[in-house]
Amino acid sequence: MLYPLVAGVLFGLYFSLVGIGLNLVFGVMRIVNLAHGDFLMLGAFVAFGIYTAAGLDPLVGIPVAFALFCVAGLLLYWVLVPRLQRARDPEMLSFILFFGFSQVIEALTTIVFGTSERSIPSRQLASSLAGIRASLFGGEATNGPFRIFGLSFPASWVVAATVSVIAIICVYLYLYRTRLGTLTRAVMSRRDEAVATGINVDRVSAAAFGIGLGLAAVAGVFAPFMFGSFTPAFGIDATVTSFVVVVLGSLGNPLGTALGGVVYGVSYMLVQTYLSSWADLLPYVLLIAILLLRPSGLLGRRVRVA
Amino acid sequence: MSPEPERLLEVSGVVKRFGGFHALDGLSFHVSPGEILGLVGPNGSGKTTAINVISGLYAPDAGSVSFLRSPVGGMASHKLVHLGINRTFQVPKPFMSLTVKQNVEVAHTYGNASDKALPMADLLERFHLAEVANRPASDLTNVQQKTLDLVRALATQPKLLLLDELAAGLNPTELDWIAGEIKTLAQSGLAIIVVEHLMGFIEQITDRVIVMNAGKEIFEGTLAVAVTVPEVVEVFLGGEHAA
Amino acid sequence: MPDTLRHYLIIAVPLLIVMAVLPSVYSNHLLLFNFVIFFILAQGVNIIYGFTGYLPFGYVGFFGAGAYGFAIMVMHLNAPAPLAVLVGGAVAVVLGLILTPLLRLAGAYFSIANLAAALAVLHLVANPALEQITKGPYGVALNGTFNPTMAYAGGILILALTLGIVVYLKNSSFGLALQAVREDSFSASMSGVNVVKMRTVAWLASALVAGLAGGVFAWYVSVFYPDNVFSADFSIFAIVFALFGGVATISGPLIGVIILYGIYNLIGFTTPQYFQLIYGLLIMALVLFLPAGLVSLATRRGWYVP
Repeated sequence: MLYPLVAGVLFGLYFSLVGIGLNLVFGVMRIVNLAHGDFLMLGAFVAFGIYTAAGLDPLVGIPVAFALFCVAGLLLYWVLVPRLQRARDPEMLSFILFFGFSQVIEALTTIVFGTSERSIPSRQLASSLAGIRASLFGGEATNGPFRIFGLSFPASWVVAATVSVIAIICVYLYLYRTRLGTLTRAVMSRRDEAVATGINVDRVSAAAFGIGLGLAAVAGVFAPFMFGSFTPAFGIDATVTSFVVVVLGSLGNPLGTALGGVVYGVSYMLVQTYLSSWADLLPYVLLIAILLLRPSGLLGRRVRVA
Repeated sequence: MSPEPERLLEVSGVVKRFGGFHALDGLSFHVSPGEILGLVGPNGSGKTTAINVISGLYAPDAGSVSFLRSPVGGMASHKLVHLGINRTFQVPKPFMSLTVKQNVEVAHTYGNASDKALPMADLLERFHLAEVANRPASDLTNVQQKTLDLVRALATQPKLLLLDELAAGLNPTELDWIAGEIKTLAQSGLAIIVVEHLMGFIEQITDRVIVMNAGKEIFEGTLAVAVTVPEVVEVFLGGEHAA
Repeated sequence: MPDTLRHYLIIAVPLLIVMAVLPSVYSNHLLLFNFVIFFILAQGVNIIYGFTGYLPFGYVGFFGAGAYGFAIMVMHLNAPAPLAVLVGGAVAVVLGLILTPLLRLAGAYFSIANLAAALAVLHLVANPALEQITKGPYGVALNGTFNPTMAYAGGILILALTLGIVVYLKNSSFGLALQAVREDSFSASMSGVNVVKMRTVAWLASALVAGLAGGVFAWYVSVFYPDNVFSADFSIFAIVFALFGGVATISGPLIGVIILYGIYNLIGFTTPQYFQLIYGLLIMALVLFLPAGLVSLATRRGWYVP
C-alpha cells in the first residue's frame, strides 16, 4: 500500500508538470492546445539529443528546452492565435487547428528521426548531481535508487518530482509576484474586462503561450525516464493524460493542476497495483466523471484569487 | 370604482440565491393584462434576476410564481413560452447565422402560444425588418438585433412580455417609435414588464412601477409618486439616476 | 416541399446511383466501400456538429461499438449479417443514450469528454479480462458472414438513410430549430424549442448512422482488431472531411470526402508521414483561411448551396 502511494505522489507531481502548461494556455486564451503532448515529445528529443550528441546530463536539457520552446511559443502565438481569435468560434476552431499542428509536428519528427522507440539509460539523469548528493547524504557517488520510508524508488522519479515542484513554485511566483503575472491572472478571470481596461492581452497571452510550451518541453525532458521510452507518436497519449490532470484540478486554474496531478498519480498507481488490467481505463473514466460531476474541477473556480 | 382587474402574473415572496448572495429576497408583485409595469432600481437590485426567474432560466429557491392562476415557478422555458410568457434580452441573442426570417420562423413554428394565425410578413414590416429578412442576423446593427429579439418574442404571440433594457442604445427617434409600439401592444391586451434605466422612457410608457432594492420591492405605484417617497429617493441618491 | 425533392434528385439519388454502379466498372472494391463509409461518417458528423454545434472528437466510439455489436451477434448468436448490422446500430444508440449527459458540457469540454469516452470504450472492448465476450485485444475473425458484395449493398442503404436524415434536417423546421439551439440555446428555448430533447434526438441519429456504418464495416472486412475499428483516424477524417466541405449543408461533407479522401488515396499509404504532414498543414490552412469550408466560397457571394 505504501509503495503505490509514494510512487503515485512522485508520478503525480510529475503529471502536474505535464499538465500545467496546457492549463495556462487554456486559462489565458480559451484555446485548447491539442499539440501539447507533441511539445512534450519534442522536449524528450531535446534531452535525447543532449545526451547522445554531447554526452551531457539530460538535466542540461531543462534550460535548453525551456528557452527553445518559450521562443517557439512566442513566434507561434503571433502567427496563429490573433487570426484564430477573430473567428466566430475560436475555442472550437483552436481545437481543430492545434490538432492539425500536432499532426504536422508528429509527421516532421517521424521524417527526421524515424518511428523507432528511443530511451536514455536512467542513470544518466542527474548524473552531474550524483557527487553533490553523495556529499550531502553519504553513500557512493552514483545515481542509485532513492530510499523513502524504507522503500526504494528510481532516482529519476525523485528528480522529476523535485523539478516539477520547483517548476510549479516558479509558475506560482510568476502569477502572483510579477506584474505580467498579475495581468495574466486578470485576463484569466475576466477577459472582456481586461481588454476594456486596456491590458495588452496579446502580450500577456503570448507570454503565457511561450511559458506553456516551455513547461511542456521541460516535462518532456523527463518523459524518457518516466515512461521508459518515447516515439514521435507519443504526443497524443501525453495530451490526453494532460487533459485528465488539468480537468481534475480545474481548467483555467494552473495551481489546481498540482492537486489534479497528485490525485491522478496516486489513483493511477493504486489501480495499476490492484486492478492492473483496468488501469488503462482509469484516465478516461476519471475524466468523464469529473467533467460531469464537478465540471469546475476538484478545487473549483472559487478558489482562484481574482 | 371598477373591480380589481384579473391578475395575469403573480410573484410572491420569491427568493433566488447565488451561493450566499440573495439576488432576490422575497420579491412580490403582480401584473394584469394590458398593463405596462416598470421594474426599476439601482444596479444589482435584482431586476434582471426577476426577469430570468419569470422566464424560466432560474428556478426560484423559495416563494411562488403563478401565471393564469397556475404555479409556473421552475418550469422549463420552452413550456412557459407555450403558456404565453416571452422576453427580450439585455444583450440581444438572435441566431446569428440564420436569416432574420428564419429567426422569426423558429419562434413562430415552435413557440406559438395562440391558435390565431400570425402574419409574419406584417410583423417584419411593422418593425422595419422586412428589407433585411433574408440577411443573416449577424449582419444587423445592434438596434436591428434588438428589434429582431422583440419580433422573435412577439412571433410566439405571448400574453406576458418581459422587456429587459430594450431602450438602451436607441436614439430619441427610435425611442419614441418603440414606446409607441409598446403601448399599442399593451392596448391589444398584452401585459408588459419593462426593466429600464431610462427614467424618461419609464415615465412615458408605464402605468405603474415597482421600485426594487436588494432583491425586494420597496415601492409600488406611479413613478410620479415614487419620486416623492424618501426611501425611494434614498436608494437612488448618489446613483446615476437620481430623479 | 419542393426543395426537399430537389435535394434528393440533384444530390442524394445521383450519388447513390453512382456508388451503386461503380463496383461494376472500377475494380478497387475496398476503396469504393471506404468512400461509402466516409460519406456516412462525414454526414453523421454533419448531423451533430453542423446542425447542433457539438464537435464529436470521439465519434469513432459509435463506429467501433457498431462493429463489435455486429461481431458479438455473429460470434455468439450466429445472427444473420443484416440483423447483426441493425444490432450494431442499436448498440451505438444505447452508447449514445449512456453518453447523453455529455451534451450538458459546452464546447471543448464536450469534445474532450467525447474523446475520452471513445477511448474508454476501446479499452473496455480490448481488455483481456473480457476475452470471452469480445476476444479482447486479439481481434475477431468472422468467416461465416464474409460477403463483400452484400456488405457493400448494405453500405449503400445506410448511406441512403443518412442522406435522407441530412436532407430532412436541411429543409425542415426541426433542422432549423437545431441550428437555433446551436447558435444560442437559451434564445432557442425562449422560441419554444425543447432544447434537451432536440439535441438528444440529433445526437442519437448521429450515433445510429455511425453504428450502422460500423456494423457494415465489420461485415465487409470480417477480420479486425479493436485498434482498427476504434482508430481515431475515423473520427478525425470524418470531422476534417465535413469541415473542409462545409457543415450544415448537404453537399459540403460529400464534397469534402470526394476531394480529401480522393487526395489521400492518390498520395497513397507508402509514405504515411508525408501524408500526415500534408494533412496536418491542410487542416491548419482550413481553420485559418476557410473556417466555414469550401461551400463558404459560394455562400460568401450570396449563392445558395444545398
